[in-house]
Amino acid sequence: MAYINVDSVKQRTFDAIVIGSGMSGGWAAKEFTGRGLKTLVLERGRDVKHIKDYPTTNMMPYEFEHRNELTYEIKQKEPVISRCYAFREDAMHFFVRDSEQPYVQEKPFDWIRGQQVGGKSLLWARQTQRWSDLDFEGPARDGFAVDWPIRYKDLAPWYSYVEKFAGISGNNDGLEELPDGEFLPPFPLNSVEDHFKKQLKAQYGNRHVISARCAHLSKPNQIHLDQGRAQCQNRILCQRGCPFGGYFSSNASTLPWAERTGNLTLVPHAVVREVIYDEKAGKATGVRVINSQTKEETEYYAPVIFVNASAFSTNQILLNSTSSRFPNGLGNDNGLLGKYVAFHNYRARITAEYEGMQEYATDGRNPAGGGYIPRFRNLHKQETDFLRGYAAGFRANRSMQEDTTGFGAELKKQLLNPTWGTWKVGSHMMGETIPKEESRISLSKEQKDAWGIPLLNIAIDYDENDNKMVADYHAQMEEMFTKAGFTNIQKTDSKQAPGLDIHEMGGVRMGHDPKTSLLNKYNQLHACPNVYVTDGACMTSTSTQNPSLTYMALTARAVDHAVSELKKRNI
Amino acid sequence: MNRRTAVKGLLVFTGGLVLLPSCLTREGKAFIPLKHLEVSAEEEKMLGEIVETLIPTTDTAGAKQLGLHKFTLKMVDDLHSPEDQKTFMDGMEAFQKMTKKQTGNSFVECSPQERQELIAAINSGKASKEVIDFYQILKKHTVTGYLNSELVMTKLRIYELVPSRYIAYYPVKASTKN
Ligand SMILES: Cc1cc2nc3c(=O)[nH]c(=O)nc-3n(C[C@H](O)[C@H](O)[C@H](O)COP(=O)(O)OP(=O)(O)OC[C@H]3O[C@@H](n4cnc5c(N)ncnc54)[C@H](O)[C@@H]3O)c2cc1C
Ligand code: SF4
Repeated sequence: MAYINVDSVKQRTFDAIVIGSGMSGGWAAKEFTGRGLKTLVLERGRDVKHIKDYPTTNMMPYEFEHRNELTYEIKQKEPVISRCYAFREDAMHFFVRDSEQPYVQEKPFDWIRGQQVGGKSLLWARQTQRWSDLDFEGPARDGFAVDWPIRYKDLAPWYSYVEKFAGISGNNDGLEELPDGEFLPPFPLNSVEDHFKKQLKAQYGNRHVISARCAHLSKPNQIHLDQGRAQCQNRILCQRGCPFGGYFSSNASTLPWAERTGNLTLVPHAVVREVIYDEKAGKATGVRVINSQTKEETEYYAPVIFVNASAFSTNQILLNSTSSRFPNGLGNDNGLLGKYVAFHNYRARITAEYEGMQEYATDGRNPAGGGYIPRFRNLHKQETDFLRGYAAGFRANRSMQEDTTGFGAELKKQLLNPTWGTWKVGSHMMGETIPKEESRISLSKEQKDAWGIPLLNIAIDYDENDNKMVADYHAQMEEMFTKAGFTNIQKTDSKQAPGLDIHEMGGVRMGHDPKTSLLNKYNQLHACPNVYVTDGACMTSTSTQNPSLTYMALTARAVDHAVSELKKRNI
Repeated sequence: MNRRTAVKGLLVFTGGLVLLPSCLTREGKAFIPLKHLEVSAEEEKMLGEIVETLIPTTDTAGAKQLGLHKFTLKMVDDLHSPEDQKTFMDGMEAFQKMTKKQTGNSFVECSPQERQELIAAINSGKASKEVIDFYQILKKHTVTGYLNSELVMTKLRIYELVPSRYIAYYPVKASTKN
């Protein structure tokens, strides 16, 4: 910048800067503003105000031009995003299209992005489970990645803290591998899901089906009503944005809460290009931002910076934050920035039918989606020829079916008088993958985006461990389905590229040792402690749980730490 | 068609499709704007009669009045690959030839009885592959379009935007299984 006006600098100086307004950034904003810090949230996408900016939320199916299907043209033009199940006419406007923001796939990777105020918190499937020590101790026990610098006891109070505010429905199931939490009433399992649960209990003892735990207000508490949210009305049109605030999103919950403190400044269309490192001060002093519309460049300053741009975008920003002290990216003294990334293996599915429970169906809709099977492989010791294991979704549904074989008045009658079909059951695998050095993201040397930022180059693949896990999932589930009396069992391996799980993690991993990790146990960069990373980039390993609850808990904990460090003038 | 049902039909239309049943389109061209398919006004009319044979007007509106032939054309035009579009168009032509050969008339000119017989044969698989492929695409979209129409969703099989409940054990008569 050629000319720095002192007043203008003052206007652009805050107590804390948060990059990204999604699931984790929203929490950072809420925590900082709630502790009285003037907080700037920089968001590269447009603003999305709760309710007001949910244009499709109350539309009936026939109001969508293609009845919510994708056109051939879009599928051709945007192949990656078109593979995401939630990218449909009703929620398209909340996703980044391939053509808008290219990236380099050194190996196939479906990078699913939601870039607007609220990020992907608007779009998520709201499944939330805590990690246990069986997860945190995984790398140390099984000898991969590095040891997590934290254990369950470090995070447990923060899980409780975020659960109470976000509103998580579920049961206390008393399982060591899936710690209990602060739950609102669960959404019950249906007759066939219950049947499967009982069968597993009887035949295996240590395999469980529980009501899926999810971020829905099954019965709101005062704290939720105070946020302006109301009881979930079982629409399951959540990806459009919920007018009731029935599920947790930054837009419905943390951001309006932060705004009410009067301490929040939210700037949309602000693409953070890099974090500014001041060699003399020996710390980060601010960020450099490009307005996505005008391309105008601005700097903002604060004594502490939280990077919450979503796992891979956070890596991109840090890699692009170079200085003579950090020529390879901020905090990257050991060259590990961008390495040891991993994801969840979602390739395998199994479906079947059930002839029993004909006297029951379901009525209304279940926002939790059904049941959840926590990991049961290699839990306490190594027992298979692959490392770690998988969790699984499980759901049974019975729908009204119309006979479409005829034509004429008969067909019309059939269409208007459907009958109950048989029960269909299905499960999908959520496998832990092992972070490896060769799984990495880096900056493209040649190509830049419309804002002059090098494109992200992604090189991640499945390995033998993942293939063995797919085979084991199929074999185990088939056995369990058979024992439960399910028939017409079909197993599939989608062979989908990594990324479509939308649980990419790592690259800026936490650890004890600055030589082998980027972040310490409070999510501070070892080499630049006033920069914190608390989104998926910080993850040392991936476990099998849906990750977002853990990002939220880590974020709240890290802000608490940052505020006390600021007070002590340690950062 | 009395005025009331005509108005109702129009309302159904404005629900979602912004298909202008425009009278300004060039003569001979289909009334609905299509990007890829070349469909004549006559063919569009024929499709209207086929979908009406599939889902006829009874005490409630049938497929023609609900515009499901136009809906099908739009879906084939927008959702299908060029190969599938060709299958549809070739099959439609084969269907027209077959009709002419069997009845000496076009489908529109056929008597209701003849239309029933033609469709009955195709529906039970008695026709060339080309014709059957066309018929299946048409039938699929007609059925989806019908089930997703405003009429069906608001009057005949109510779709609930806001169910406000989940009953996990919902008792049903075991005999409803067919
Ligand atoms: C369809 C779908 C289903 C999912 N289901 C689940 C689930 O059931 N359970 C679960 O736990 N997780 C689920 N997820 C994943 C979950 O949404 C993410 O884990 C979570 O949103 C990540 O939070 P985040 O804060 O890291 O990133 P995001 O929520 O993606 O927010 C990041 C924000 O940073 C902004 N940003 C990026 N780069 C920059 C930049 N350079 N400058 C400024 N701003 C920037 C982005 O625009 C975005 O708004 C799902 C995701 C999707 C899409
Ligand atoms: S299921 Fe609940 S949270 Fe989702 S859209 Fe409906 S009311 Fe909202």
